[in-house]
Parts: sequence; structure tokens; C-alpha cells
Amino acid sequence: MAAKNGQTSIEKEQIFGMAEQEMEYRVDLFNRLTKLCFDKCIDKRYKETELNMGENSCIDRCVSKYWQVTNLTGQLLASNRPPM
Amino acid sequence: MDKSMLGDLDSLPEDDKMRMSAMIDQLQIRDSLRMYNSLVERCFSDCVETFRRKSLDKQEEACVRRCAEKFLKHSMRVGMRFAELNQGAATQD
Repeated sequence: MAAKNGQTSIEKEQIFGMAEQEMEYRVDLFNRLTKLCFDKCIDKRYKETELNMGENSCIDRCVSKYWQVTNLTGQLLASNRPPM
Repeated sequence: MDKSMLGDLDSLPEDDKMRMSAMIDQLQIRDSLRMYNSLVERCFSDCVETFRRKSLDKQEEACVRRCAEKFLKHSMRVGMRFAELNQGAATQD
């Protein structure tokens, strides 16, 4: 694999690897979020196919809060890392 | 999940762009299959309780339909909100 802009092929592989991990992380995040908010917001008796207004609001708020918890947790993990 | 998840694929050289594109396609296929299985599991466990017969009765079938529809609609809404948050769009409480 030819080097471009002084980048070695090893570095390039690393970048692709990181990009792939980042994408997989986002997909996993989305899937967990979807599952959790469904469990918390949707009535399991499935009385109808449409989402009612209450469910819609709940979903919006659940997603928002989940996002905040994600950011908060990320900050805490970054700051509490033990010194190497 | 779609290609808009990545900021700017266009700025990459052609072969890198194709590689990223192939990576995304693969993730998408894997995710679709995973979603299929988990939806079946969910609707089965929420809708099927008895085993007097081999076939689903009318109620069970209707329940499964509503379950699947509802989950898909829910998933779309979550996707919209998630995309908004990713872009840093502020929404009201």
C-alpha cells in the first residue's frame, strides 16, 4: 500500500481501525438507547400501532437524558483515569 | 445508521472513500440482522404466553403486528432525536 502524505501504511491501518471502532461504538450506543427507551416508555400491551402523545414525549426526553448520562459518564471516566 | 454518520467522506481520496463505504455497508447489514432477531424475540416474549396450539391465534398475530410496527416507529423517532443531539441542536424541555 503506497504511503500518502508521508503517512505509513501502518498508521493508515490504525486510522481505519479507529474509525471502525468508533462506528461500532455509535451503533451499539444507538441500539442500547433504543431498547432502553422502548422498555421505559412504551406500554407492552400494544393496544394500537401508533405512538401516542405521551409516548412521543417520553421518547424525546428519554433520548435526551440518555445522551446527557453518556456525556457525563464520559467526563467522569476521563477525569478519574489513574495516573500511568 | 447511514453514511451521514461520518462527517465528510467526500474529502477522502477515492480508495479510502470506497473502503469506508464498504465498512459502513457491512455494519449496516450486521445491524439489520441483529435488529430482526431482537425484534422477533421482543414481540414473541411480549405477545405469546400460551402453547395450547401450534398456530398463533388472531390476538397473538395482531399483537405481534402492533409490537413490530410500534417498535419501528419508536426506532425512527429515536433516530431523529439522536441525530439532532449529535448535531448539537438544542431542544426545549
